[in-house]
Amino acid sequence: MDASRPSVAASRGTVTVIAVEHLTKIYGAGKHALSALADITFTVQEGQFITIVGPSGCGKSTLLQVLAGLLPPSQGRVSIDGAVLSGPCPDKIGVMFQDAWLLPWKTAIENVEFPLMLRRIPRPERRSRAMPLLHLVGLGSFAERYPDELSGGMRQRVAIARCLVQQPKVLLMDEPFAALDEQTRTRMGSELLQIWEKTGGTVVFVTHGLTEAIYLADEVFVMSARPGRIIRRLRIDLPRPRTFDMIGTDAFGRLRNEIWDLIADGHA
Amino acid sequence: MSRRLRIVRLILPMLFVGMWELAFRLELLSPIIFGSPSLIWMAAMKDGGSFLLAFRITIFEIATAAAIAWTLGIVVGAFAGSSPILARLSAPILSALISVPLVILYPVLIVWLGLGPPSKIAFGVLSGIFAIALNALVGVKGINRGYATMAAAVGAGKWQIIFKVMLPLALPAIMSGLRLGTALIVIGVVFSEMLGSTDGIGFWISYHRSLFNTGHVYLGIMLALLIAGLANLGLSLVERSYSPRIDQALPK
Amino acid sequence: MTGWLIRLGPFLFLAFVAFFWEVASRLGLTDPRLLPPFSGVVSVMIGLLHDQRFRGDLVTTLTEIAAAFAIVGPLGLAAGFFLGENRAAYRMLSPLLHLLLSIPKSIFLPIFIFAFGIGFTQKVIFAVTLAFFIVALNGIAAARSVPPGLVTAARSFGAGHLQIYLWIYLPAMEALIIEGLRMGLIFTITGVLLAEMYGSAHGIGRQIFAWGEMFRLPELFACVLLVVVVTVSLNEVLRIVEDVSRSRRRGF
Repeated sequence: MDASRPSVAASRGTVTVIAVEHLTKIYGAGKHALSALADITFTVQEGQFITIVGPSGCGKSTLLQVLAGLLPPSQGRVSIDGAVLSGPCPDKIGVMFQDAWLLPWKTAIENVEFPLMLRRIPRPERRSRAMPLLHLVGLGSFAERYPDELSGGMRQRVAIARCLVQQPKVLLMDEPFAALDEQTRTRMGSELLQIWEKTGGTVVFVTHGLTEAIYLADEVFVMSARPGRIIRRLRIDLPRPRTFDMIGTDAFGRLRNEIWDLIADGHA
Repeated sequence: MSRRLRIVRLILPMLFVGMWELAFRLELLSPIIFGSPSLIWMAAMKDGGSFLLAFRITIFEIATAAAIAWTLGIVVGAFAGSSPILARLSAPILSALISVPLVILYPVLIVWLGLGPPSKIAFGVLSGIFAIALNALVGVKGINRGYATMAAAVGAGKWQIIFKVMLPLALPAIMSGLRLGTALIVIGVVFSEMLGSTDGIGFWISYHRSLFNTGHVYLGIMLALLIAGLANLGLSLVERSYSPRIDQALPK
Repeated sequence: MTGWLIRLGPFLFLAFVAFFWEVASRLGLTDPRLLPPFSGVVSVMIGLLHDQRFRGDLVTTLTEIAAAFAIVGPLGLAAGFFLGENRAAYRMLSPLLHLLLSIPKSIFLPIFIFAFGIGFTQKVIFAVTLAFFIVALNGIAAARSVPPGLVTAARSFGAGHLQIYLWIYLPAMEALIIEGLRMGLIFTITGVLLAEMYGSAHGIGRQIFAWGEMFRLPELFACVLLVVVVTVSLNEVLRIVEDVSRSRRRGF
């Protein structure tokens, strides 16, 4: 993702950036085998913001971990930007979790630089790549602070900056705001959208919250209960930039109800 | 620390030394058993030279034993702690072995390695390694998996995860293991010298005991305690500069 | 199931060591003069247990341990209970207790010899000194672990002081008391063996050292093996008792 690219709308194209073919994930073997994901196939175009919802335990997080290359598929395959995934791919994929997992002995800026440090990129270059991103997430003046001096929301913002530092094409996010209080969560959601509008790129965002899912997404993937599969892909045609007053509208309400019913049925 | 407490902490030892000397002068206590500060001073003046020579040998043995015990202990402990199965299996074994009085193995070491420094170094290593390994194990075991997952997601290789993420996170526990273990190493080395040796502070202590030179004996004991205390202090200073940030991030 | 496996861990470990020891000896991997085969050591051990002289030493050591434990157990616990319940005393004396605990006492053995000679008394007193502080510390923890509400409730039923102690305090503290006694026993055994090895005419510790000096390795290893097995077993048995007690008191 490039912090200098113009509006996302212009670059939203028909290039497939994520391709999932017959993805199945089974834990364990024999009698105790647990089928987490069952034969999932989908593609995601470049520049799309996708959210994934589903009942608890449906395998949303497992799907995200496979997409991130952190878990191998049992069957099928995942391709990112044309190449089949065989492990974590940090220059193409940025991953965020519920916890920021910032290294406590490093400052905010050092945490953002961490992926670059792993690749032995020299200090001046690391700093010049990381600082703009901290400014982008609104923490420019907190660069020298340590994680224990930052709030939960701020730590997640550092995590976002860290994700972006290697300019990945895809951002995967596993319920990144779930541990935050409601106000912070809502604020972070709209800030994320603003960042995404500036940087472009593709986002896959897993969440429990239907409102959050609809508010953020171009398309909502609804998953069934375990073993998880994609029951439905719902286009969200609400105009961008999204505003909070859209949440109260009838259109929004209808989308919510539709997804709710799908999830309820998906249990059957 | 409040000023009052600081003053008390300075005055109390001086008071103690003063009363000790007074008891000696007034012949309130047996001089053989209790000695006195003046006897210690005289011993230092009289035999300070030979004492310093012995000191050098002991320090050498301690340093060598520490180098071995630190490395082996941290590596073995961290390795055991990184695998949940290994950790569950080895923790009770380690704590059971700690209950064995190590000193009974010392004669075996003398037979195998002779009376010189090697047997003292070996005994020193044995004295400290369990505490170091156990603490390293607990430290590594307690690390939340999320850190490793995050590091893998940003492209860290296996060794990078171990050295740049796991070890720093385990550092507070490792440091406290090093503090305890090093004190045990110092005492282990000195005591083994006392039991059977050709040189070193412990040998010096035992030698003067047989001559009933109480001042010398106390001098040796004080020095051994001083070394242990300095090692402890040095390590806790290092600990203080590194660990607090990490400590706060760990689940309690 | 795995619970039992972990319980048996230390013994399985010792069994493995014995197994590899024997195999290595049989395969000629080890020099029998430096490391006698396990089977040989065991038969020597059995021989020793029938030997009059050895039995005498064994009795000496066991008597010392028993005497020291009989003193340090009640004394340490009483001191611990007192400090645990009395806030003023705790604040004054607890730092002293921690300080004395952290000072290594083995290097003070020459002083004990000056004071008490090298007989039974010296060894018992040394062992008591070594074990006292850890038992007291556990006693404090035990006393502080009793929920105050318990005592109030008992008082409201008109229970007298002694009754409260016997029927409420002690059972509530049972697990921690057992843990304190377990550690006290380990330290007592260690203290007795340390003292015997350093300066004594009789006892297992003395004998181990003597065999070392005489290069009589089979006897040396036999005795070491005996001590290892006994101490590990004692430790584990007491641990089990401790755990049983803990699980029975789950209400607290």
